[in-house]
Amino acid sequence: MPSKVVDALKDSFKDNVTVLSDNGVEDVIVLSDKKLLKEAAKLIKKIHDIVFLITVVDRNPTFEIGYVFSNYVDKSILNLRVNIMQDDLSIDSITSVFPSADWEEREAYDMFGIKFNGHPSLKRILLPEDWPGHPLRKDFKVTDDVRNWTGLDLKF
Amino acid sequence: MEKQKGVILNIGPVHPATHGVLKLIADLEGDTIDNIKVEIGFLHRGKEKMAEMRYFSNYYPIVDKLDYVSALQMEILFASVVEKAAGIEIPPRAVYIRTIMAEIQRIMSHLVFVGSFGMDVGNYTGFIWAFREREELMTVVEAISGGRLAPMYICNGGTFYDLPENFSYMLSPVLDRIEKKVKNEYATLFQKNNVFIMRSKSVGIIDKQLVKQLGITGPNMRAAGIERDIRRIDPYLAYEEMEFEVPTEEDGDAYSRFLIRIREIIESIKIIRQAMKKLPAGSYKKPVPWLLKIPAKYTLVRHEVSKGEMAMHMVTDGGMMPYRLKIRSPTFFSLKALEKVLVGSRIADIVAVIASIDPVMGEVDR
Repeated sequence: MPSKVVDALKDSFKDNVTVLSDNGVEDVIVLSDKKLLKEAAKLIKKIHDIVFLITVVDRNPTFEIGYVFSNYVDKSILNLRVNIMQDDLSIDSITSVFPSADWEEREAYDMFGIKFNGHPSLKRILLPEDWPGHPLRKDFKVTDDVRNWTGLDLKF
Repeated sequence: MEKQKGVILNIGPVHPATHGVLKLIADLEGDTIDNIKVEIGFLHRGKEKMAEMRYFSNYYPIVDKLDYVSALQMEILFASVVEKAAGIEIPPRAVYIRTIMAEIQRIMSHLVFVGSFGMDVGNYTGFIWAFREREELMTVVEAISGGRLAPMYICNGGTFYDLPENFSYMLSPVLDRIEKKVKNEYATLFQKNNVFIMRSKSVGIIDKQLVKQLGITGPNMRAAGIERDIRRIDPYLAYEEMEFEVPTEEDGDAYSRFLIRIREIIESIKIIRQAMKKLPAGSYKKPVPWLLKIPAKYTLVRHEVSKGEMAMHMVTDGGMMPYRLKIRSPTFFSLKALEKVLVGSRIADIVAVIASIDPVMGEVDR
């Protein structure tokens, strides 16, 4: 059974959307232009209630941001993937459309250093404020900065 | 005259009522909360990074310490992800053993909730009683797997050992006893206890709208009146053949969240009894090589664990280790509700509301 939300996305974004799977249970689509994300989120909001999770994958030099949307009615989920380049690690925040993305976006910023434009408070969430680097990147190295980090410079 | 500013109160990260290392920064006016912020991350151990450095078979001791009060469910979730990605079918006996273990673990986790919630609202007897019942189940889990808190019982392809022969003689009386205690003694201690009801009723109301806004799942969601359970709508393990109810409450306050857990304990007991009756004979494990290679793909598996909808999203690249493993923690989403529901309430309610959400920081911080 083809899914309604994928059809709606195909209608509005035409060539900018690549459908990898369309079975109404676990749909997978790839959005080619990151500027369209917010528009897409507004369309998705009509069907799906929450951002279930955000998975960032570091495929140097591109970073792939995978949004998984889910709802409270049935078991269907929607995977939406957007690729961004390493030299411009920023993407629109969708917290204004999906408030549930708030902490997930902060986590992605914390672990990968991706800037979410328009996020209300884009701060680190799991690591301390002054932690050197973004540890889930593939090129993260345990440097002396990390090894000697004590947390004593933090202001409380 | 300038209005006197309130007090900023730091609660936690090390405080017995914060269930681990949760930190709250409350802006107080008198003893009313003007504004509150939640800080997490004090138990961050980099488990997602660790996954990228370990073989698929060697990650189990680490998932055990994710949600350390329901370790078996974490193991089952990770095993399901690896098996789905590698295309491994596990034998029916293993499916049933996993179902039984998952439900035993759910009861244990909910008993910890009942106990600590009781303690936080001044009902110390509840704490002792709940841990007494949990201890009996712990003994059963220990007899089955050899471990108590971190059992290391599930492996790729099934379980490490078969159930012992006297398994049902061991478990059935324990289940009977827990059912009796929960239905009678706990009802007297909690549901008919005026002090307990005063502390928890209409405190920290998380309504339907807030649930949908924040992405809350699990018992906290069902307490707000949304009937949804992954075991029911997208059955995994052997849940399709089990008969059970999905309890819901309407109010969404701390007391409903307590009632939901009590009712889920009863449902879990029902499921274990059915699974024990239907337990198929045969092999408990499919031989799987210790070192697996999984082709490049994305695998998403979600399970209804004791805290809500937990998911693991694994990205593989054809190697022997995950390329990326994202863990979706249900409490990570629920905790944000504290910032909304605690505004305007009293300091004393903070403790009750935190406990009613049932946070386990190991799983939030990962």
